[in-house]
Amino acid sequence: MKLYQAIKQSLKAILRNKGRSFLTILGIIIGIGSVIALISLGTGVQSSVTKQVSKLGTSNLTVQPGEGFGPAAGGQSQAGGDKNGPGSGGGRGFNQAASTLTVTDLKALQDTTAHPKIKAVSGNVSGSAIFTAGGQQRRMTVIGTTPSYFDIANLNVSGGTLFTAGDITSSAKVVVLGSQFAQDVFGTTAAVGKSLVIDTDTYRVVGVLGKADESSFVDPNAEAFVPYPAAMATFGVSNFSSLTVQAISENNVDAAKADIQKTLLGTHHISDAKLADFSVASAKDLLSAVTTITGLLTSLLAGIAAISLVVGGIGIMNIMLVSVTERTREIGLRKAVGARTSDILGQFVIEALLLTLMGGLLGIGLGRLIGLVAAKIINITPVITPGAILLAVGVSSVVGLVFGIYPAAKAARLNPIDALRYE
Amino acid sequence: MMQSMNAIELTDIRKLYRTGDEDTAALDGVDLAVKKGEFVAIMGPSGSGKSTLMHIIGLLDRPTSGLYKLDGQDVSTISKRKQAEIRNQKIGFVFQQFNLLPRTSVLENVLLPTIYGKVKDPQRRAKQLIERVGLADRLSNKSNQLSGGQVQRVAIARALVMDPAIILADEPTGNLDTKRSEEIMKLFRDINKAGATVVLITHEPDVAAYADRIIYIRDGVVQEKAK
Repeated sequence: MKLYQAIKQSLKAILRNKGRSFLTILGIIIGIGSVIALISLGTGVQSSVTKQVSKLGTSNLTVQPGEGFGPAAGGQSQAGGDKNGPGSGGGRGFNQAASTLTVTDLKALQDTTAHPKIKAVSGNVSGSAIFTAGGQQRRMTVIGTTPSYFDIANLNVSGGTLFTAGDITSSAKVVVLGSQFAQDVFGTTAAVGKSLVIDTDTYRVVGVLGKADESSFVDPNAEAFVPYPAAMATFGVSNFSSLTVQAISENNVDAAKADIQKTLLGTHHISDAKLADFSVASAKDLLSAVTTITGLLTSLLAGIAAISLVVGGIGIMNIMLVSVTERTREIGLRKAVGARTSDILGQFVIEALLLTLMGGLLGIGLGRLIGLVAAKIINITPVITPGAILLAVGVSSVVGLVFGIYPAAKAARLNPIDALRYE
Repeated sequence: MMQSMNAIELTDIRKLYRTGDEDTAALDGVDLAVKKGEFVAIMGPSGSGKSTLMHIIGLLDRPTSGLYKLDGQDVSTISKRKQAEIRNQKIGFVFQQFNLLPRTSVLENVLLPTIYGKVKDPQRRAKQLIERVGLADRLSNKSNQLSGGQVQRVAIARALVMDPAIILADEPTGNLDTKRSEEIMKLFRDINKAGATVVLITHEPDVAAYADRIIYIRDGVVQEKAK
């Protein structure tokens, strides 16, 4: 029997029992549907996180005290409950120990002739203070940093000026505001020349930034920037909560990372890299960590959904077994007119395959639908990749093959006489 | 050649069934020859072995011993796969019941054997045969929309579609009233006149009377009588 004949016969058998065929594949539809929905949402989360992370700048590196990942560049995480933001760490809950990143470290890295892979460095002191915004008291982020930070983070002034290297040396109490910050606290972005009380110190507003891209990690619009010596004085700390380094290009990130590590081990007088009291992470590192986590979660959830595929497959096997019994006489007749064992086997396997494939295709549609509905609720754009579709089609074919073989073999083994006599 | 004159040639065919410790012979040394173009009826009471004989002639079963030549070819010991091939090419079946695929059109039912074997221009041939059995206007009717007599006509058209060496009919009128039975038997006689070899199994003398020759079988042996 030719393949297209076998497919035609199987298709006819499926269409002869439309209602039952649909119920048979319902399990597969739901299984594939949930796998597709979860994968597309997972991929959606991943791509949105990827976008957020790349806003941090793909050629940027962050040096943090302690080990492992902390909040990324800018590190605006606040300490809970404390009146003053702690200058010692990005967030008190995270980095308990006092920071080990000193002004000496900053100066060492700023020497670009000694570090050809480094384009710019900024030292950051992250803290927060309470401001009156719109009649309400709110805790907002204040970052003490170097002028190079604006360049690294791609921030531009829209009114006034940025603070300068001179303001660093003179420890000037000047502040550059994010546009949202200015709007919240002064009710206008035209705040240049006004004064701002941070904690107990009075700062003079010298500039307001233009509207910048925000991400889940950093929102420079809602932050205020001051020269780091002033921030250290106000918050009573002497070290940086993080250093941000810009490599000369994306390709040189790894080389820059090695250089930073070597330099800081030197300034910290540590000979064994394993004992380092700081860590260097690129946006790439962060990205791969985040991708690993979301990928893991996605495959975990999809794995759970895949269990329903097995259940669906068993459903198919069940109905196929019933169908073989019900169609015993048809099988006998086919054998009498010349169908070989292999023809009957082929017909039933193809029937199971076609059923599951139809289930797979309808499941892709259902998964897309679930994804769209879920996206409306949790605000994620689902992404259906060709890989996910291939997976759905592949898995449903395998399910069809695995669970179709047993009933098909049972059908094929029927003795034509017994099959014809079957009442 | 003598051999090629015979469509069917059975020599000392035995079929034993084991029940408990004993062997029971359903067929106990059957010798039978059916000439090409002959119309033969096999008669016998139930339990006589005529069904077993039909299964062996139809290559649906295998004899325990003996020689079976179909259309000059020894088919006593061929493989199951080869059996299926010969059923397709050389034997046209008409059964008493369950002849057609359910909810399937007349044309598709007649075309069923052509899926499993080669025949020239199956569509045209099937349509010609359907016309010949008088169902030209029912070509696309589904099998469940047909009367009992019409179902048997479709089965006959299907039996002929591969142009087989023999038509093997097992109680083809068993479910029909007298008038329809007569119509079907006339149809068998017509196709026999047109050249087909017909072997008919029945227990009704009226039906057997249409054949050129009647073979009686009792207790697994042939008791041939001239008409």
